[in-house]
Amino acid sequence: MSAKIAIVGGGPSGCYTAQALLKRAPDLEVDVIDALPVPYGLVRYGVAADHQGTKGVARQFARLFTRQKAQFFGNLRVGEDVSLDELRAAYDAVVLATGLSADRPLGMPGEDLPGVIGAGALTRALYEHPDATDLPHLGATPVVIGTGNVAIDVLRLLAKTPAELHGSDLGAGPSDWLAAQGIERITVIGRSPAAAARFSPVMVKELGELSRAEIQVRHPAPEAEDALNLAAAASSGPLPIEFRFETRPLALEATESGLRLTVETPEGEDRIDASSVISAIGFTCDGRLDRAGLLAEAEAGAASRLYAAGWFRGGPTGAIPQCREEGQALAARILEEISPDPARPGRGLFAGRAGVVDFDHWQQIDAQELAAAPEDRCRRKFARREDLLRPALSQDE
Amino acid sequence: MKIAIYYGTETGNAEMLAEDIATELEDAHETSVADLAETAPEALKAAELNVIVCSSYDDGDFPASAKPFVEKLNDESPDLSGVRFAVFGLGDSEYEATYGFGSMKLADLLVACGATTLGERIVHDAAGDDLPEDLALPWLAGILETA
Ligand SMILES: Cc1cc2nc3c(=O)[nH]c(=O)nc-3n(C[C@H](O)[C@H](O)[C@H](O)COP(=O)(O)OP(=O)(O)OC[C@H]3O[C@@H](n4cnc5c(N)ncnc54)[C@H](O)[C@@H]3O)c2cc1C
Ligand SMILES: Cc1cc2nc3c(=O)[nH]c(=O)nc-3n(C[C@H](O)[C@H](O)[C@H](O)COP(=O)(O)O)c2cc1C
Repeated sequence: MSAKIAIVGGGPSGCYTAQALLKRAPDLEVDVIDALPVPYGLVRYGVAADHQGTKGVARQFARLFTRQKAQFFGNLRVGEDVSLDELRAAYDAVVLATGLSADRPLGMPGEDLPGVIGAGALTRALYEHPDATDLPHLGATPVVIGTGNVAIDVLRLLAKTPAELHGSDLGAGPSDWLAAQGIERITVIGRSPAAAARFSPVMVKELGELSRAEIQVRHPAPEAEDALNLAAAASSGPLPIEFRFETRPLALEATESGLRLTVETPEGEDRIDASSVISAIGFTCDGRLDRAGLLAEAEAGAASRLYAAGWFRGGPTGAIPQCREEGQALAARILEEISPDPARPGRGLFAGRAGVVDFDHWQQIDAQELAAAPEDRCRRKFARREDLLRPALSQDE
Repeated sequence: MKIAIYYGTETGNAEMLAEDIATELEDAHETSVADLAETAPEALKAAELNVIVCSSYDDGDFPASAKPFVEKLNDESPDLSGVRFAVFGLGDSEYEATYGFGSMKLADLLVACGATTLGERIVHDAAGDDLPEDLALPWLAGILETA
């Protein structure tokens, strides 16, 4: 008897879990439900536009739907368009893999001032997420708070020349926006000592290789072999990117010309003028689902038939390889615990529903985006939800 | 001839290619697919054609699933004389200085243990336009002609 499993969220965690489930049990009915009209979560809207190789995992995920017989139900937000209770009544198990999309707040006075933007919001705007806010004006001297890989992604994009973006899928609007910012210096602030920063050495090396970058480090790591020290020694472009470690942001205030950040450093309090502030200190739940309550239920045992995966379960730190490893472990556990009930209708729940995007619709969008790519880009994304929905809606008519 | 396909992977691309290769060959050959993470060096047999698909990570390092196998090669230096293998790499030319290093280092280690390479190692570039199977299948067909 084949069990029915709903996976909520079509990012890497949801897709790797589905992949592992169907690999072990090809007859399962696995459905991937996503609030967006397109699959793959942060692979499309978080992994940097100039890291196309990393997005290659999408080919594996596509196989789920083209060969492994999973079905995609896009443009369905669980908790709003369909309730979790409805899903649980219809499926033998429900996996929550909805990620963590909200930028973690800075938690200091002035954090909501105009000119302060989260790295998640900024990257969604850069990568043309349909729900993104407008791209902000960063001005000549932006400050980035945080020293993880997302901060480095932002720095790299801000520092790249137009030629260094060739081959990416950065859209025309965001590309023009980048070229128009006129950034003269970027300051990066991290609380930890340089040696404890979370970014990966490879990412820093790549930053140091950019033609415009001139990396500087205050309170550097003692080892000369430290990736950032090497990058500082190797880079000599016209755009200073200054890393300030052991520097704790205390407060933000508005000035006539922009923002002023008060920080605590080993030398005492200091003030940094900023034309804008980009916070890249991690992610948290957007509050649309009751994360704590749902995680407690999922942990409570097999009787809840509820499972959690990826960033939604473990927090905003693992990268794509970890999603795969955890997805495989979770699939094994689900298959041990599941007890199918043929009375549950599974995907029958969505029969006749209008505005639902299936995988064939996504393949039409994908093909159109690839075909529309200009000479120096590998894809031209549709930015508006209505364009992403066109194949699904024209079928409904 | 039996063809044993192994993969060393971190995000699953090498596994998918290993399966594609097996699917392509299974009508004409007996095939098997295994993760290097679950493979001991002694499992590589002289009587079989061993095909290894391996990616690269972090500054030319091995992908996670190849690491236990590599450790065994390093620690135990098994005698692999008589074993014939072909290596196909997955990489990304954006990592210019270490492009394809995972597959290269693995091939070097196997040779150091006495095994023999078949054909030229080639690397699929994740930053390019080719699909891995479009490179790997003709590459392997060429190797099978001479093996
Ligand atoms: C800016 C950025 C860059 C990154 N770059 C890299 C990188 O280069 N390499 C790397 O390995 N990792 C990178 N990561 C980390 C990687 O993206 C995560 O490890 C991974 O995406 C987590 O997967 P997930 O499936 O848990 O979440 P997500 O990828 O966020 O997927 C969640 C999915 O759930 C959907 N969803 C949310 N709520 C609902 C709902 N109520 N109903 C239905 N669907 C819903 C969302 O639309 C989304 O598609 C990056 C992360 C960020 C933020
Ligand atoms: C963090 C990171 C580091 C990488 N380092 C290298 C490298 O040094 N050399 C290389 O050729 N490819 C490198 N790659 C590219 C991968 O090998 C390539 O994407 C491959 O398709 C991954 O295959 P897998 O899913 O089987 O691991 C790197 C990729 C990532 C994400």
